[in-house]
Amino acid sequence: MQELLNNPAVQGGLAPFAAALAVAFALFSFRLAGLAVAAALGTAVYLIGGFAFPPVSAQQKILLISLAVPVLGVIVDLAFKPTRAAGPVLGLVFGLLVLWVGWNVLRQKEAAAAFAAGAGVVALVAWLTAACFALRDDPVRAGAAALTLGLGIGVSALLSASGSYAQYAASAGAGAGAFLLVQMLLGRTIQAGATFALSAGVACGLLAAGASLGSQLPWYAAAALALVPVATLLPLPRSGVWLQAIVASAYGGIVGAAACLLSWPVVQQRLGL
Amino acid sequence: MKKFALGAIALALPLAAAAAPESYTIDPNHTYAYFEVEHLGVSLQRGRFERTSGKFTLDHAAKSGSVELSVETASVSSGDNVKGNRPRTLDDHLKTADFFNVAEFPRMSFKSTGVKFAGDNPSEIAGQLTLLGVTKPFTLKVDRWVCKDNPMSKKPMCGGNASASLKRTEFGMKYGVPAIGDEVRLWVSIEGYRD
Repeated sequence: MQELLNNPAVQGGLAPFAAALAVAFALFSFRLAGLAVAAALGTAVYLIGGFAFPPVSAQQKILLISLAVPVLGVIVDLAFKPTRAAGPVLGLVFGLLVLWVGWNVLRQKEAAAAFAAGAGVVALVAWLTAACFALRDDPVRAGAAALTLGLGIGVSALLSASGSYAQYAASAGAGAGAFLLVQMLLGRTIQAGATFALSAGVACGLLAAGASLGSQLPWYAAAALALVPVATLLPLPRSGVWLQAIVASAYGGIVGAAACLLSWPVVQQRLGL
Repeated sequence: MKKFALGAIALALPLAAAAAPESYTIDPNHTYAYFEVEHLGVSLQRGRFERTSGKFTLDHAAKSGSVELSVETASVSSGDNVKGNRPRTLDDHLKTADFFNVAEFPRMSFKSTGVKFAGDNPSEIAGQLTLLGVTKPFTLKVDRWVCKDNPMSKKPMCGGNASASLKRTEFGMKYGVPAIGDEVRLWVSIEGYRD
């Protein structure tokens, strides 16, 4: 059993998916199925052992924030009715938080390079947080965006050298996949809300930013990943949650796959990147 | 009486000078930190860091000393550094957040807190190792130590070899355990010239 749990694919994929599926099934009637992403990420953190308090590294800070954000999401869902400004404001807050996350890396760069890298990751996290938050009332699109975003970041991170970022991002994707699968099995949508959308957007944004800052995820691959939530806005079939989920995931998957290709050295050489 | 005091001081001065701690600067071309870790329970894989700097002091009379070493983690070298069409080399991977996280923690350092002597030579150096932003007590066992003049330049030098082991997970390097072993064996080859 322990050997199975030590397998990276189990740690970052299968076990988080199973935990997320259990949480989504148990809590969808309480409108809290969005906690699936947190359950998946928490499972990966437990199995990989990357959590530390107080956090020392950027990755540890990312995991701390990502595991705390669902609480904020639940509070937003239960106590607030978010206005149109909520997404951009939350995006800005978490975007600026990435400066704390990446401070150790940024302070060692030349001023111009630090500014460029800092501005880039702030924009990335702000955008992904706001873009995912905007999908909170559309559970199929939100689920598909988070699924393909998590898997896209995971594969891109793996190709650009970081196995641990790959595992954590894949686990977030697995959690979103479980959330989507519950809807497909029920044949109807379940609430995503801020609980799901904020958890997924912040976790994916921070993990992409961390892989970009601390490892070698190219900026153009990160930029492509930022388009995943937009891709899921393309038209979907009018009925059938199964079909909608598959089509929305295909939209996001195509963009996510493009980001993965951009992380592959052979493609980078061909494109002169 | 005054003459006697002056004479005593004059006699004591060279002794005092001889007993003073001698300061040495590390020769980066002959000072390297090596490591060894188990891979998939099969082989022991080795690597080293190409750039190390630092200083040490020795006081043979008082049998005391100190060591400060700083290792550039980005200089890690496993021998696998030609990428070709692969997404990454082993060196690339060792530099990421999975292992030495060089973008965030470009140095690991060792600062001694006490040096034990066996006879005229240091035998054990206790201190604090800082790796990945985590500082833990760490003891180097001195396996060999020689002080002499460089045969060519005639400059006074000291050097030797020391070894230790650590559990990488205690420093937050948890990726791949247990497939990639937790216990890391370390060796340091060190040479320094007197300042």
